[in-house]
Amino acid sequence: MARRNAPVRPGAPALACLLLLLLLCGGGGTAAAADTVSVDVGSVYASNEGTSIDPALGNIRGKLNSMFNYTSYKMLDRKRLSLAVGQTGEYDLPGRRTMRVTPQPAQGSKVRLNVQIAEGSKSLLATTLGLSRGGMVLVGGPSHQAGVLIFILSAE
Amino acid sequence: MDCRTARKRIEEKVDGLLPREAEGELAAHLAACPACASESEGMSAVGPMLAAFVGARAAEKAPRLDAMWTRVRAGIEERREAERRPSWIPRWAWLPAALALAVLALLFYPTGTARSPFNPRSFEVSFEDVESDTATVALVDKGEDLPRVIWIIEDGKT
Repeated sequence: MARRNAPVRPGAPALACLLLLLLLCGGGGTAAAADTVSVDVGSVYASNEGTSIDPALGNIRGKLNSMFNYTSYKMLDRKRLSLAVGQTGEYDLPGRRTMRVTPQPAQGSKVRLNVQIAEGSKSLLATTLGLSRGGMVLVGGPSHQAGVLIFILSAE
Repeated sequence: MDCRTARKRIEEKVDGLLPREAEGELAAHLAACPACASESEGMSAVGPMLAAFVGARAAEKAPRLDAMWTRVRAGIEERREAERRPSWIPRWAWLPAALALAVLALLFYPTGTARSPFNPRSFEVSFEDVESDTATVALVDKGEDLPRVIWIIEDGKT
């Protein structure tokens, strides 16, 4: 006599497993989130060549326009790293520059970042600053082509 | 029995629908009426002729009908066989495959490139120290609703 298997949806176990995995990762993520800082660095080329503003700049497009006297803003690069306290993340910036960011111990929802920008062996900037999670600071000035670079540094 | 009724009965007889008890009455009429007897004789000959004709046509079409039925039966069998045939991937194999896929997705989830536009929630910043070996650095604060700026004035450039 022919035996028929009970009807089981083929994707059901896989879906259940995936959900379980995501739940596990999510649970671990909240514990780890307090110890790590997600540092996002965007490199913007500001110039008077044209009048376009990169949509990737989101809500800060208007703010850049009102703060600086440039007519064009273009995002050249963006990188986000999840860094533990004491761990240094390195970001390559346009013009053979580098930014090194190291989260420092901080209280509550604040983050403290040690930021160093170098051009070759020269140190352009070394600072330690405090931000709220979700906060942002701009670092600008280094020349690039016919304009300058503005680095958008945000921490989550 | 009149001739009209008799002809109706003859048709019924040819079709095999004439009741047995009416056969005697019809036979009596046919014996007395040569016209109806002749009609009965003619109609009785049509039945076997039709049967022979239908038989001959059926025999002529039989091989094609057989072939069509064979094809239909083969199609039904083939579908049944396909339903019965187990998949070469066992059901349990989906589980590790899904796990591997999830792990890969987590490992290779892009962290470096731009995904969402900047959407800051705060511009509050405190500076503990600011230094530069090769440039002059200015702190620019244009109001609470604007981001603070560290402006690097490169000597002889900016």
